[in-house]
Amino acid sequence: MNGKKRYAMVIDTHKCFDCKACTIACKMENGVADSDQEYRNWVDTGEIIGVFPNVSQKFTPGQCNHCTNAPCVKVCPTTATYRDENGFVRVDYEKCIVCKYCMIACPYDARFVSSTTHTVDKCTFCAHRVGRGELPACVETCPSKTRTFGDLNDPKSEVSKLLRENEYKVLKPETGAEPNIFYI
Amino acid sequence: MPYNKITRRKFLKSSAIASSLFLAFAGAGIPVLFSDEPKEQLSNFSANNYIYTSCGICVNKCGVKAHVEGGHIIRLEPNPHFPKSRGMVCARGNAGARLPYSADRLKFPLIRVGERGENKWRKASWEEALQMVGENLNKVVEKYENRSAVMFVSTEGFQEEFFKTFAEAFGSYNLLRHPTLCLSSNIQGFSAVFGNYPDADVKNAKYIIFTGSNRLEALITPDSIDLMKTGPKKLVVIDPRFTKTAAKANEWLPIKVGTDLAFALAMIHVLINENLYNKQFVEENTFGFEELKIHIQKYTPEWAEIETEISADKIRQITREFAENAPKSVYYPGRRSSFSKNDAELRRAMAMVNALVGAYNVEGGLVQTQKIKLNKIEFEPVWYDNNADDRLEAGKVKFLAESSGAWIPFRNAVLEEKPYPVKAMMVYKQNPVESVPNRKKTIQMMKSMDFVCVIDIEMSDTAYYADVILPESTYLERWDPAHSLSGIEPLVTFRQPVIQPLHDTKSCFEIMQGLTKTCNLETNPFDYTIQEYIQKQVEDYEGAYESLLNKGVYIPKNIPSPYGNRGFKTQTKKIEFYSDKYKRKGLNPMPVYETVTEIPEGKFKFTVGRHAFFTHSSTQNMDYLNTIMKENVLWLNTEKAKNLGIKNNDLVKVKSSVGEGILKAFVTQGIRTDTVFFVHGFGSKSKGLTKTHGIGASEAEILEDHWEPISGNALMHETLVEVTKVRS
Repeated sequence: MNGKKRYAMVIDTHKCFDCKACTIACKMENGVADSDQEYRNWVDTGEIIGVFPNVSQKFTPGQCNHCTNAPCVKVCPTTATYRDENGFVRVDYEKCIVCKYCMIACPYDARFVSSTTHTVDKCTFCAHRVGRGELPACVETCPSKTRTFGDLNDPKSEVSKLLRENEYKVLKPETGAEPNIFYI
Repeated sequence: MPYNKITRRKFLKSSAIASSLFLAFAGAGIPVLFSDEPKEQLSNFSANNYIYTSCGICVNKCGVKAHVEGGHIIRLEPNPHFPKSRGMVCARGNAGARLPYSADRLKFPLIRVGERGENKWRKASWEEALQMVGENLNKVVEKYENRSAVMFVSTEGFQEEFFKTFAEAFGSYNLLRHPTLCLSSNIQGFSAVFGNYPDADVKNAKYIIFTGSNRLEALITPDSIDLMKTGPKKLVVIDPRFTKTAAKANEWLPIKVGTDLAFALAMIHVLINENLYNKQFVEENTFGFEELKIHIQKYTPEWAEIETEISADKIRQITREFAENAPKSVYYPGRRSSFSKNDAELRRAMAMVNALVGAYNVEGGLVQTQKIKLNKIEFEPVWYDNNADDRLEAGKVKFLAESSGAWIPFRNAVLEEKPYPVKAMMVYKQNPVESVPNRKKTIQMMKSMDFVCVIDIEMSDTAYYADVILPESTYLERWDPAHSLSGIEPLVTFRQPVIQPLHDTKSCFEIMQGLTKTCNLETNPFDYTIQEYIQKQVEDYEGAYESLLNKGVYIPKNIPSPYGNRGFKTQTKKIEFYSDKYKRKGLNPMPVYETVTEIPEGKFKFTVGRHAFFTHSSTQNMDYLNTIMKENVLWLNTEKAKNLGIKNNDLVKVKSSVGEGILKAFVTQGIRTDTVFFVHGFGSKSKGLTKTHGIGASEAEILEDHWEPISGNALMHETLVEVTKVRS
């Protein structure tokens, strides 16, 4: 298929065991600072809920959802934040004036001010790796392959297959952002 | 507690809007340090920037390809040619890319100028430092007329073999390694039954029981990965604490600490009395079944219920399910097994449960490991007359591993100076001050030495008490010998430098070469380069050396199937339910349960364990990893916390009969009311560990030094503690 791509990620939370390999791999790959305020992706360690011994706990990976109808793009006064032809929501560091409107608009708290670039920063779906035919760092490094990445416009892709074969949900659908991270 | 996502936006909402205008101007004009545009990064990147090697952060040695640009490591990516690590690199492996650049690294040799532990040092040249070590070791040998007066302390790692060779060439019996702080009782127990220590075929198992084994936080490849990737139909986790493995299990059974043997014995009882065992397998392959059948009758599920606080019905249910899924059922051997005084017997009983259902050397069961044989460059050890007759702790352990020793009885013997004085300590990579129970005694032992030398990459708590510190190059800056990783899918790996050493450091190999000269040894076991050594190691396999260089791994063709009976290396050549070997040593020929000590009101059993972000006590100070978990916290049951007036994040004191520590409380429903827990590796003594010095509590400080006499293993879950509130 030579048409437009729609890159997406499917996250199987059943497989996630909160090892945080994705977070560190992303920091290495993308030069994100060693700070607990700066991260492009994360695993939310759920509380241990219930009463001993009937307890449970959930681990939920998260990141920029590369929304089709991205609120961050709409609020950016300088068009620094934009959605490219492959569906990646990007930040042009040259144009970013750190007004932080996008940080407030993002339903997923996926954006931060980088002490490295001194601009707003967030997940790029590792566009530089995808451009040379590789997977995003978080997908590649994940021990249990909780994350699957691919093109939803390609019906043969693994992500298309997973969405056909599983019930799935997106986070905060009510915002109308049309996110491209799907949870199964 | 354990690092939740920090809500950046929450903070922003209250403060940012007001300041956003100002920041808009402040942010403009700041130079862009790098761009993430694909085309820009592609321009200076090619496949040649990858260098294949293996991770050195933990025991697994995962295959990595280092992405290096301009002599700087960008990232360590998973090596797709390396089946054992299943195409992954964990958090620690990823953070390893920045280890060489750590500000806390030892950058040149150091010589102590103040008192031991006073942290006063001067910089020394390698020549001076190696000379000083040689002279001092020789002085101790002369003074005590005993080459074994020098003890050699080390832990696993590819370069350890050179350190062990040096100890042998030096002529000391006293090489003291880590297994008795780890899995000695496990190896002993399983080997007593099967004649070897098998792996579990996690990839193909349908039913797995973990007892104390926390595979999703104490990562072992490929088991941890297979568990989540392909996974069994049912996973049962037996653990006093709700670990991340428990969070992923079908059933969590919070057993009373130290009573796992009662659970295993009751399983044997049910398997035999309900005729659930594999009769043909037992008849053909085992010895002592009739004796076991009589012996086990007293260990009913009802009896085990009282010991374990897991109901008899539940024990029956688990046992029946285990038998139904056999032989693709695994009572997982675990790895570290230094828990309670019943531990060696527990491991025997667990082996027997697997054997009874025929889950041995079959797909999905326990499987005898295979190992690819490597050559060695041999050397002729010299016989020295000025030596002791045997190891220092000889005769104190029923089955003492001569090549590794037993830590706690050894340390006690050093302190008593019996049967002979040990007065010098050479340490490679091990950190006994934080890894051996009862820190005060370990420090006392180190202070009783005439001379201590430590080789490490950072100022560990052990290096802190040394006289001379020799800085090692990290695993990314050096050649390491080929290493055969045994398993169901065996392979050979190695290391090549991905960058040049950043500081004035040497590999352990180079240090041993230097010490061979300054100790005036009568033999030189290191008359070669590491590359020559690696070539010799793999010379029997065509193309192996090239495969290591270009793919980071070598796997010979035609490795036989791991499945099928390959015989048993026991006395009877059968799987032994009854052990004559044990009987002759004055032990029970079949596992006997010893009742655990009651936990008095107001006290807790202190438990320890691993974490997926840390390797033992060695990575808590690492950049990026420490950011995920900056301190350890005390897991305390909600109900008990309420009684003690303790709230989440209150500062609490944990006190045992040997030491105490202060840390924050993590109040949770995920632990028994009579048990507490914290992650190890914090509360460091060393001021050279800038991120963990004085932060949180030290495990070694609190643990009492119990050990069990069958394998000599330390017992980490036999310590009672009091918990009191310090402040809110």
